[in-house]
Amino acid sequence: MQIKMFFTYNKNMLTIVFRAVIIYLVVLFLYRLMGKRQLGQMQPFELVLTLIIADLATIPMAEVSVPVLHGIVPLLTLVVLHFILTYLSKLSGKFSAFLSGKPVIVINPDGIDYKAIKNLNISVDDVFEAIRGCGYFSIEQVQYAIMETNGKMSVLPKSEFAPVTVQDMKLEIEESCVPVNIINEGKIVKENLEIAGIKLEDVNKILNKANIKKVKDVLILTVDKNGAVYVQQFGQKFQTLQIKPLGQVEA
Amino acid sequence: MTKVGWFKLISLIAIVGVLIAICVVEDRLVINSLSNVKDYCYDIEVAIEKNGGIVNGEVASLVDNMEYSWKQDESSLCFMVNHKSIEALGIEIVRLKTYINEEEDVEFLTSLEIIKSYVETFQHFMGASFHNIL
Repeated sequence: MQIKMFFTYNKNMLTIVFRAVIIYLVVLFLYRLMGKRQLGQMQPFELVLTLIIADLATIPMAEVSVPVLHGIVPLLTLVVLHFILTYLSKLSGKFSAFLSGKPVIVINPDGIDYKAIKNLNISVDDVFEAIRGCGYFSIEQVQYAIMETNGKMSVLPKSEFAPVTVQDMKLEIEESCVPVNIINEGKIVKENLEIAGIKLEDVNKILNKANIKKVKDVLILTVDKNGAVYVQQFGQKFQTLQIKPLGQVEA
Repeated sequence: MTKVGWFKLISLIAIVGVLIAICVVEDRLVINSLSNVKDYCYDIEVAIEKNGGIVNGEVASLVDNMEYSWKQDESSLCFMVNHKSIEALGIEIVRLKTYINEEEDVEFLTSLEIIKSYVETFQHFMGASFHNIL
């Protein structure tokens, strides 16, 4: 009897319960559709989307006079917009850079690049905090620090401060260097060819050496200045190759 | 394309389809229901003029029909429109019936004008216009 009374006089609450379930399922579906990304890994436009979705979802959930569609329609619209922006940023590197920015080197072998950190609107303290977060408590330990587009700092330590140091191993190794991304998801990153000092035909030679026929089959291909190549095809295991140092590539 | 890729593409197409369908259905529903109310208002005015007052079977019948028609449309509109935005129209239609019973011609005509005004206002703010977008 009491249960019957509850359902008779608490229709509003019951409506809210059902609305919460519907909106939860819709938001869950949309997030699964957009892919797995943690909050800290999001690009700026993804973060904006997440904040708006969280806000939109709560309005029709709590306000019974607002139709559920008033929450669902903007959610669906934002997801479509997200896909369009993602597609366009994959299509054009310039658009991607406009939307998400570019990774910026904030510490180079000469020290902190003050102009770069000013452009990023961060302070020297923020740089120190970020490199401490990467496990390096002195700037002297850092060869390069790069502020990624998702706001995280990537640190390349100087060789002697790498987790297993040269001194520990008593080995002679070459200076650390940043591998350059030459092919990314089946597309040649043309601006990096110039940075790496290699030509388009050199890339083909590398692919031939790795027994890869087409550029579009390559998920990732990086080369460092010592000629160490890392290449992985879609759906296959990576392989590493050694070529002549950059600028002197030969198959 | 991978299975996940196909799933995403199909989902995206389905979402765009759903959005288009919702927009079209809402537009049609709002236009039809508001036009119905507007038509009834003009018919009632003609009936009042013809019969010389509000106390007659024709006006009463038209008000009943308008109330029935609006209730039908209102339940559909609640899927698309904020209920609080349209409840005033229903209240005003119910008042018309009371004014007929109490033979209050002036109040009846005022209420009828209010309904017409509501309809025009709703047609203005429910449509997709430059003003509404901004």
